[in-house]
Amino acid sequence: MSEIKPTDPAATNAGEEKDWAAAKAFFDSLKTRKPRPPKPQYAVTIAVSSRTLFNMVAERKIYEEEGVEKYVTFQQEHENEPLMPGVAFPLVKALMTVNSRLRQLYPDSEELFDIVLMTNNHAQVGVRLINSINHYDLTIERFCMTGGKSPIGYLKAYMTNLYLSKDGEKVTEAIEEGIAAATMFASGDVENQLSDTQLKVAFDGDAVLFSDESEIIVKQHGLDTFFEHEKEFENKPLAQGPLKCFLEALGKLQRKFYAKNERMTCPIRTYLVTARSAASSGARVLKTLRSWGLEIDEALFLAGAPKGPLLQKIRPHIFFDDQMFHIEGAKELGTIAAHVPYGIGQKYHKGELIEQPVKDKK
Amino acid sequence: MDSMVRNPDVKQRDAAQAVVVAVSSDAIFTPEVEQVHGATEPLRKGDAFSFMKAIQVVNERLLTLNSDETLLFDVILLSNDSEEKHSRIIASAKHYGLDIGRFCFCNKEDSIESLQSNNVKLFLSTDTNDVCKALQKGVPAALLYHQTDPHHQTEDQLKVVFSGDVIGSSEEMLHGLREQGFTETQLQGFKTAKGSVKEFAILMGEMRRRFGLEGSPLCTGLMTAWSSRDVCASALKTLRGWGLLVDEAFCLAGAPRSPILNLVRPHIICLDGLYHMEGFTAMS
Repeated sequence: MSEIKPTDPAATNAGEEKDWAAAKAFFDSLKTRKPRPPKPQYAVTIAVSSRTLFNMVAERKIYEEEGVEKYVTFQQEHENEPLMPGVAFPLVKALMTVNSRLRQLYPDSEELFDIVLMTNNHAQVGVRLINSINHYDLTIERFCMTGGKSPIGYLKAYMTNLYLSKDGEKVTEAIEEGIAAATMFASGDVENQLSDTQLKVAFDGDAVLFSDESEIIVKQHGLDTFFEHEKEFENKPLAQGPLKCFLEALGKLQRKFYAKNERMTCPIRTYLVTARSAASSGARVLKTLRSWGLEIDEALFLAGAPKGPLLQKIRPHIFFDDQMFHIEGAKELGTIAAHVPYGIGQKYHKGELIEQPVKDKK
Repeated sequence: MDSMVRNPDVKQRDAAQAVVVAVSSDAIFTPEVEQVHGATEPLRKGDAFSFMKAIQVVNERLLTLNSDETLLFDVILLSNDSEEKHSRIIASAKHYGLDIGRFCFCNKEDSIESLQSNNVKLFLSTDTNDVCKALQKGVPAALLYHQTDPHHQTEDQLKVVFSGDVIGSSEEMLHGLREQGFTETQLQGFKTAKGSVKEFAILMGEMRRRFGLEGSPLCTGLMTAWSSRDVCASALKTLRGWGLLVDEAFCLAGAPRSPILNLVRPHIICLDGLYHMEGFTAMS
């Protein structure tokens, strides 16, 4: 079995095998025959926060205006009312669709998506969250409710491949810990228009899949220098960015479909949506991907044109970009956008350097 | 036959109202590899040390809220050590300023009886066999979680985690486990543990309610190791029904538990299903 995560020798010990065996026994014994979650070290683990999975805007308001005790009481009182779907909901459904297809083709494989609910909510709020998960019949069997403490440490413990949250600070912390993460933004009602048979994931290039080294050149020396630089270093692969590993994980799952002759009906499709232009700076990007052994299904070079209209046509379940300017443009036209707070782009807004307040290290 | 010594340095609690916890002396003070006759220096700190400090914080906070509070932790140190070590144990407790109400010195064979006769609400040990035996005899017992990094163990908040796989499983589910390879002894062990966990959970619930959601010196959690989310939800509700509203909840569904426990860092784990998987082979 190919590894999606590095095997930690300390991790595969007898105690863990027993836990795993017990879980297998438990799920096999259930009359409902619900699928058991995959072994974490082989799975592509996606951790979602409660506010990305469900719409908790009204509840959040209570928390902010009336405090945690009133908030928890409110949630308990409304425990049996399912929450409305949140911004990551379509993505979760698409991941479940891919899992069904994978299970059909590879019934004994642990290489599946594993969706984990990672929230710093109080455990008593958890009852409403679980009831809501039950209501929509989502395959989320693992969760961490940390009762107010930061969930970041648990991301590593669950071998998370991607973390999605509405809280930019947590996302930044995760990226600093080396975990692919993005802050999700609401985009209005797009669920009906998204594909329910194919997971579509769109990535920006610089400072998302790749490092921000080239973006630094643009910001500090301008476009002309950037084009010259990219042409000169066309054959030198760019360094990797925070979401490269996630693309890699998607690629490994895609190849499982190709191996069974399902390339044309592969339920995962990836897109590169970059402001680079194909003629002058695109080659380096494609060559870098090739040097990493990664494929991307569609590479779209916009040469500086706005990303919004193109994304509207693609209708991805999620679009990752490091620049808020592009996130806002995507959102305006209904795309589910996720901000990756990484690299030099965070210091600029619409080309202007932002005054950074001195960061308070807690 | 045991010899019970009251600690003159510690205010005696009302044992009928208090949460009487018996802790094995081998857990509070690291057993010495070589017994040096006539040694007088304090014994070295053991695995239960941060637990002892944490319950002191809880007691202090409870008394700050209500100076007449009777629902306090009341610790009995349970020792099977030879007589010559008794005074050294008492002196060490004094040296570290540990809130130990009574010292109970007895033979190993008489330990269970001592626990039963002193209305102990919880017996704590780092030894899963001792915990198993106590549970089998109907004495509520829990495992002192072995910290891989004792320097990071918090001493200003007591963390108690309840294992929920059996609390949250229905009779039908437990029956189904039999067909999947769990033995009759294991399943019987689950039932016994479930009964003893209830009383302690009720006490913890009552104690937890003395404090608000934030800034509490007592933090409670629930963890399910192998079952589905519905079992975890069921355990949450069961505990709630017993008056315990846990702060944290973790549903592992077969994921490795060490990395998670190393972050949760509980002082004690009230076992019902968890340890039966590891300790079982040692028992049989």
